Amino acid sequence: MQSVPINSTAPAPDMWEPYEPGGQSLWDVRRVVHLHRRAGFAATWSEIQRDLKDGPQAGVTRLIKGGARVEGTIENFEQTADEIGEAAVLSDNPDRLKAWWIFRMLFSPDPLGERLALMWHNHFATSNLKLRDLVLMRRQNDLFRTFARAPFAKLLGAVMHDPAILIWLDAPSNVKGKPNENLAREVMELFTLGVGNYSERDIKEAARALTGWSVAGAGFARQADAHDDGQKQILGRKGLFDGDDLLNILLEHPACPRRLAWRICSEFMGEGMAEGPALDQLAAGLRSHELDVGWAVQTVLRSKLFFSDANIGTKIIGPVEFVTGPAHALELFDPPPSTLVLSEWVERLGLSLFYPPNVGGWTGGRGWLTTRAIIARGNYAAALARGELSVSDSPPDLRGMARHAGRDANLRDGIAFFNELLLGGRIGPRGLDDIRVRAGRPGAPDADPLTIAVALILASPEAQLG
Amino acid sequence: MLTRRHFLQNSALVALSPMVPAFLSDMARAAGAQRDARILVVIQMEGGNDGINTVVPFGDDGYGRNRKAIRLNRDDLVKVNDHVGLHPSMRAMGQLIEGGRLAIVQGVGYPNPNRSHFRSMQIWQSSRLEEDQIDRGWIGRAFDQLPWPRPGGPDAIYVGEEELPRTLWGRRTDAAAITSTDDLALRLPVGKSGSGSGAEAEDITSFVRRSVLSAYGTAGDLAGSGTAGATAAAAYPQTKLAVQLQLISQLIKMGGGTRVYYASQSSYDTHGAQLPQQARLLDELSGGLKAFLDDLKAAGLSDRVVVMAFSEFGRRVAENDSQGTDHGTAAPLFVAGDAVKPGLIGKTPSLEDLDDGDLKMSIDFRRVYAALLEQWLKIPAKEVLGGAFDPVQILRNSV
Repeated sequence: MQSVPINSTAPAPDMWEPYEPGGQSLWDVRRVVHLHRRAGFAATWSEIQRDLKDGPQAGVTRLIKGGARVEGTIENFEQTADEIGEAAVLSDNPDRLKAWWIFRMLFSPDPLGERLALMWHNHFATSNLKLRDLVLMRRQNDLFRTFARAPFAKLLGAVMHDPAILIWLDAPSNVKGKPNENLAREVMELFTLGVGNYSERDIKEAARALTGWSVAGAGFARQADAHDDGQKQILGRKGLFDGDDLLNILLEHPACPRRLAWRICSEFMGEGMAEGPALDQLAAGLRSHELDVGWAVQTVLRSKLFFSDANIGTKIIGPVEFVTGPAHALELFDPPPSTLVLSEWVERLGLSLFYPPNVGGWTGGRGWLTTRAIIARGNYAAALARGELSVSDSPPDLRGMARHAGRDANLRDGIAFFNELLLGGRIGPRGLDDIRVRAGRPGAPDADPLTIAVALILASPEAQLG
Repeated sequence: MLTRRHFLQNSALVALSPMVPAFLSDMARAAGAQRDARILVVIQMEGGNDGINTVVPFGDDGYGRNRKAIRLNRDDLVKVNDHVGLHPSMRAMGQLIEGGRLAIVQGVGYPNPNRSHFRSMQIWQSSRLEEDQIDRGWIGRAFDQLPWPRPGGPDAIYVGEEELPRTLWGRRTDAAAITSTDDLALRLPVGKSGSGSGAEAEDITSFVRRSVLSAYGTAGDLAGSGTAGATAAAAYPQTKLAVQLQLISQLIKMGGGTRVYYASQSSYDTHGAQLPQQARLLDELSGGLKAFLDDLKAAGLSDRVVVMAFSEFGRRVAENDSQGTDHGTAAPLFVAGDAVKPGLIGKTPSLEDLDDGDLKMSIDFRRVYAALLEQWLKIPAKEVLGGAFDPVQILRNSV
C-alpha cells in the first residue's frame, strides 16, 4: 500500500487573504452595498459611487478609520451627541437614551464604531431593567465606543472596573466567606472563554478572587475587608489572586481569542461562513496581535471570504440595521427622522436598546424573524417610504433621487434603482415584476406607486438578508 | 389526543377554506414538535384582591360578623357548595367550574406574610422569600434551566403596557412584551404566496422566504377574518383584560413556541368603596377568562393551555370604616383549563380561627408553582423555588 506523504510544513491556506477584484468577483454595486450593510448602516448613492471608484481597500479603510459617511453627518457631531445624551440622562427617561444612541448611529461619521459598540453591548449585555440608572448605562455605553477597536484587555478592564457590570452581576454581594458566583461565571462563560473551557471549581475560585470588587458612590471600589486574600487555583494556576489577576489569566487563556473571533465573525460574517479553520486562524491572529480587535475586524472586512458570493446575503439583518440603514440610504436628513420614533420601531422589531433579554444578550440570527417582527418590518418599510418618521411627515423624494442618479424616474426604472441602492440588486426580475404590479394597482391609498414599490422592496424576503 | 401539528395539517385547513392557500400549508409544514408544547398563562391581579368577597364563605358565621357594609347577599352568590359561593359578578367562572374547567385553590399564601404590595409582589414573582434572591422570577428561573440558546420565538411574552414583570426575568430567558393587535396588522399589499420551491430546504434564503411569507399570510389571515372573525367562537367582553387575553389567544394560534404568556389587571387595592370596584374587576376577570377558554376550545387548543390567576395578598377579615378592606394575607387563587380538577381545592379558611385578625394560610403558593412547573410545563421545580415543595393536586391525574 502506498502511503501519501504528509507535508507538515506546508502552510495552511490563508483563510483571510485580502480580496482583490477581478474575474468573477467584480467590485460592483452589489459588493459595495454588502460592505456597508454589514459593517455600517447602509450607504447613500453617492457613497456607493465613491467606493466604486476608489476600490474595496479604500472603502474598508474609510470604515476602519471612522470616516465612511459623507452625507447626513452633522457639524460638531460629538458635541451635539453629548448634549442629547446629557439631556436624555437628566430626563431619566430610557426612551430618550435609546433615541440618543439611534441618533449616533444615524449621524455619526463613524458607523462602524457604532456597530462595534452595539456588538459589545450584546457581548457584555447589561440591562437597565435591573440597574435603573441611565448615568451608569450611558457611561458603560461610552466604554463600548471608546474601546470598540482596542486590544481586548483594555475593553475588558474598563468594563469590569465600571459600576454597571458590577451591579448587574451582583459584585457587591460577592464577599469573603459568602461568595456570589454571578460575575465570576459570566466573565468566563460569556465575556472571555465560552462554555466548556472551565470547571465549576474554577468559577468558585474566580468568585473568591473577585471578592472585594464593589461599587461606592457611582464608581468602582475595592473593599479590602471583603476581599478573600487566600490562595486560589484557577485554570491550573495557583496564587493569591485578585480580580485583576483573574482577568489576566483569562486574557492569556487560548479560549479567549477564539471566543473573540467567534464574536467578531458572528457580527460580520454570514450564517455558517466562519467556522473551523477560518475561526481558528482568526483566533491565532488575535493571539499574536495582543487580542487587537481593530486588527481582527479589519482582517475580516478586507478578506476575500468577506466579499465572496457565499457570504453575501447570508446574514439576517438585525432590528437596528434594518431600521437605520434604509433611513440613511434614502437620505432622510432634512428634516431628520425622529430618533424616538425610530427607536420605537427597533423595539417593535424585537430589540430594546439597554434592555437585552438576559445576560447572554440577543441570540439574533434566525431568531429575529418572528411573525410579529416580520410584520413590524413590513410596517416600518411602509412608514419609512411614506415619510411618517419625521415630525413633519415628509416623504423622501424618491423620484428626485432616481433622477439625480441619472435614472429615468418611471416606475420600472425607479424600482430597479432602489433595488440596487437598498439591496445591491438582490431582488430578481420576477420579484421586481411582482412589486411593479402590486405597487401600480389602482385603488392603493398612496398617490405615488413608487412609494409603495420602495416599501415592498424593503419588506421583501431579500431585504431581510444582507 | 389531537395535537397542534395534526390540527394544522388536517382539520383546520379543510375547515378554513375549500382551497388551501400556499401560506397556510407553509405554516402547517413549519409547525414542529415544539408547537405542541404546553402553555401557561398567568394573570396578575394587582393590588391585593379581597379573597373573602371573591370566594365567599357565606356559611361561616364570621362572615356576617366581620362584613357588614360590604356584605354580599347570600342569595346573589354563585353557589359552589352549601358553604361557599362566588361573588355575584363571577357567573362565567361558575359556569367554568360546572364545565370542569376551573379550580380554586383556597387559603394560598406564604409564611410571615408581608403586607407591602411591592414586597409581596416581589415574593410572588420571584418565588423567593429572601430579599437578596429577587433578581430573577420563577418563570425566568424555570427557563434558565433549559438548554440554551433555544430556537424559535420568545420563551415568554408579556402582553400589556407596563414594563416586563419580574416573573419573567431570567439569565437565559428570552421574554418579550407586546402591547396590541396593531402589532399584527400589516399596512402593505404584500404577496402571500411565493413559489413552492425551497419550502423544505433549511438554507438561510429558504428559511427567510418561508418565514416572511408565512408571517404575511398570518397578517392577511387576521386582517381577512377581522377581530370579530378571529373570535367568532367566543365573544370577548370589551375590557382591558379581555383584550390582552384575546391577543394572547391570537399569538397562541399563530404558534411561535412561546410557553408562558403573562397578562395583568390592576386596581384591586380596595381600601374604600370596595363593592362597585371589586364587582367590576371580578366581572372583567371572570368574563375575560371564560371567553378566552371558549375561544381556545373552539380552536382545538384548549388541552394545551392552563391559566393561573393570583393576587399578591388577600385582605383583612374585618372591613374598615370606609366600606373597604385593608391589606391581609392568604387568598384564593384560580387555575383554569381542560387539565384541571374542577372545584374547590384545599380547606376553606375559617373566619373564626384567625391569626391577629388575618386568615391563616393553608397552602404555600410555591406548592402551586411546583404543580404548574412539574406537572404541567414539565420543568423541574426544586431549583426554581429554592427547595422541594409538594405539588398541590390541581391537575387531573391523566395529565
